[in-house]
Amino acid sequence: MSGLELVAERPVPGEPRAYEFPATVRTQLANGLRVIVTPMPGRALVAASLVIRAGAGDEPAELGGATVLAARALTEGTEVRDAVALTEAAERLGASLHAEAGWDSTFAGLDVPGSRLVPALALLAEVLQRPAFPEREVDRLRDERLTDLLQAKADPRRRAEEAFVAAIYAPSSPYHRPSGGAAETVETLTAAELRTIHDRDMDPARAAIVIAGEVEPDAVIRDVEALFGGWAAASAAATPGAIDDTSAVTGRFVNVVHRPGSVQTEIRVGHPALRRRQPDFHAVSVMGAILGGLFNSRLNMNLREDKGYTYGASAGFDMRRARGPFAARAAVNSEVTIPALRELLAELERIREEPVSGAELRAARDFLIGVFPLRFETPGPVAGSLAGLFVHELPDDELVRYRAAIEAVTAADVQRVAREHIRPDASAIVLVGDNAQFGEALAGEDLGPVTLIEDTEG
Amino acid sequence: MPVPVVEFTDERLPNGLRLIVAEDHLAPVVAVNVWYNVGSKNEVPGKTGFAHLFEHVMFQGSAHVGKAEHMALIQAAGGTLNGTTWLDRTNYYETMPSHQLELALFLEADRMGSLLDALSQENLDNQREVVKNEKRWSYDNRPYGTWNEKLLGHLYPEAHPYHHPTIGSMADLDAASVDDVSAFFRTWYAPNNAVLSVVGDCDRAQVRAWADKYFGPIPANDALPPPPDLSLPALIGEERRETVEDRVPLPRVYVAFRAPVFGDRRLDALDLASQILAGGKGSRMHRRLVREERLAQDVAMFTLPFIGGASINVGWVTVRPGVDIATAEAAYLAELERLAAERPTADELERAKALTEADELGALARVEERADRLSMYATLFDDPAMVNTLLPRYLSVTADQIRDAAREVFRADNRVVLTYLPAAADAAPDDAPRDASDEEAA
Repeated sequence: MSGLELVAERPVPGEPRAYEFPATVRTQLANGLRVIVTPMPGRALVAASLVIRAGAGDEPAELGGATVLAARALTEGTEVRDAVALTEAAERLGASLHAEAGWDSTFAGLDVPGSRLVPALALLAEVLQRPAFPEREVDRLRDERLTDLLQAKADPRRRAEEAFVAAIYAPSSPYHRPSGGAAETVETLTAAELRTIHDRDMDPARAAIVIAGEVEPDAVIRDVEALFGGWAAASAAATPGAIDDTSAVTGRFVNVVHRPGSVQTEIRVGHPALRRRQPDFHAVSVMGAILGGLFNSRLNMNLREDKGYTYGASAGFDMRRARGPFAARAAVNSEVTIPALRELLAELERIREEPVSGAELRAARDFLIGVFPLRFETPGPVAGSLAGLFVHELPDDELVRYRAAIEAVTAADVQRVAREHIRPDASAIVLVGDNAQFGEALAGEDLGPVTLIEDTEG
Repeated sequence: MPVPVVEFTDERLPNGLRLIVAEDHLAPVVAVNVWYNVGSKNEVPGKTGFAHLFEHVMFQGSAHVGKAEHMALIQAAGGTLNGTTWLDRTNYYETMPSHQLELALFLEADRMGSLLDALSQENLDNQREVVKNEKRWSYDNRPYGTWNEKLLGHLYPEAHPYHHPTIGSMADLDAASVDDVSAFFRTWYAPNNAVLSVVGDCDRAQVRAWADKYFGPIPANDALPPPPDLSLPALIGEERRETVEDRVPLPRVYVAFRAPVFGDRRLDALDLASQILAGGKGSRMHRRLVREERLAQDVAMFTLPFIGGASINVGWVTVRPGVDIATAEAAYLAELERLAAERPTADELERAKALTEADELGALARVEERADRLSMYATLFDDPAMVNTLLPRYLSVTADQIRDAAREVFRADNRVVLTYLPAAADAAPDDAPRDASDEEAA
């Protein structure tokens, strides 16, 4: 021993300070736009975002990539200002104006000192209501996206994600492709098509504006009314239609993307799994933390801290409006690809077969409950989470009751949701790495049919 | 808008541990941050990567804490944590629900005082493999992943402490022994070589009492080695060029310069120069290279501040398919030369400052960042009050100072040009569209 008189006894926690998710004011304008305001005293940097229930999952296959490009084009010019003037106007306010689309929604927003909130909201109103979709800028954005797809192919991580979703979703599902679209459709997109997507889907009836920070709700609502009240409703329904999430996974199979000379193998194992709006959300959150979310998760403790195969192993559910993927992930050194894969699959079996221990359950629940106030220290994450509730049509009190719902999860719940939502026998296994290093060993395993994919290069 | 002032206490325990406490009761959250004044610059030849490997060992247990238990206890308490190693520092930090503050202090003290009690060959071997996989993941198996290592090699001469990268070499990692780890701990991990900052929902007097209780028994190291000699000429003295064939679809040209040291007013000016040149869509290079002339897929520029010898200004241009690499490089360099010749406009300067101000306010809104800044300024400058003076310093930079800093730094005899070319098999197909850092433990 060190011989020091260090305190050996672990401290007991003090009395927790009472915490509630910050009180939030909600209202709706005549055109259908929801206004959600969360006052956070002392938070001078205010987060404002406008979110619309229209994402890449809602676009037709032949327009793959159009929603993401349309979102990016919002800040590339309006009827009254070109892209440079727009950027400069935002920068003078100390704000970076961002617009982006994901699978489920389109988003435009900024963080701005509260004293400049009104001019910042005016910019947001301008890009949402009067975008110009200038042809020259759309052409450039489209080319940048095509070039980005080339870059993605060369990056083992991005290549693995792309190969994984292509393996687990049927070609009819938008989730089969990247949310920004694949080259075949992106290269045909025109400014007119982006405008069509915008005019059809960007409707106040399916939009919410969320503002968090040191603000006075009545004043903010008046400002929003003045700036967004004239935004005319189009024809869009408040709720978009269903998204095709057809699975391509029946049994278990292996797709190897061969990268000669690769010093690591990127492993992905999984299948289509869960939508966000479903009753098992809290139990799945606890189960996911134990399996592959916490640092001391089973996957990380086994593959990293015990075996040293990887810098990190994890697993998680990407819950979307329709069934998003479950994936377990690790990047391992090439020569241990097969042993690492075997351990990973064994952990997916074990979480289903045995109930988790009391200590594991407590640690996961306590983490999710305890970290909750940390997540919402500043306005950005508060606004982001409230926008998420709107997108997924979740109850207003979802965040308020989150901690109690996590606290109520039992070991039996964890095992039940693991059995229902993790299916190692019906999973795609994607390996991006040097097949010469592990191909032979892979052939000796009983993991299902193996397909070798050789990217055409040069 | 008014710049908020961080009020803090600054004191030393009898064993030399510097304790900085800033109360902020807005949220029930508190940050604990320990900076050790040791980084990869303190490594000796043959033992590169050691400071960072050691950082991993710090999570493998101590006298009263088991392997990986540090992480488990913090997370089960609802906290978040990590550690990082860089040229000038190693830091460890936790953000906790405020009623769990004492646990984080106990854990940091236990490993500062008794790490070697739990050190084993097995744990060292395990973390060596983890770190080698971190190197593969972050550098070797990543497009352009070797840029940092290559630029350090060109910017700093062979014997200089900044010459080698923090991640180290595979051979040196393989050679690291338990004895090396022990010696490193005894040399550097002492309370008089550390700063402990606590920021957030806490009580100063209580924090001091806990610091005395947990850290008080740890003895100082009265034989701390002197800081390494970092002195270096301000300029490289020549242009250095290297071309690398790599598994990348697009060529990319990195351009790096020696720059004034961290804390030098000229580096503040250079930070604003980087903002004006490449910070976001309103910047000069984004406008010209990406938007107007469409030479680049993306551009970037920033400074890596270091405490001695020279900092680094580095940027890159990723060249679009079908564009001549030399043309893209020339356009990048022309923008540097223009700023070295002419002052930025008042409007450019105002926008750069507004963005810098918003970034700083956003960063300092989080207790974790505030604690890290206090530790950093105390460790590197013996001046934690820089947490309050840095933003006003940025806001007082003049257009003349920006031009002068650009003129001093952006010189042909002070630059490294590192060009990545697609290896033959990875080149973008001809029909492709045309026309136009830190190492972490977890």
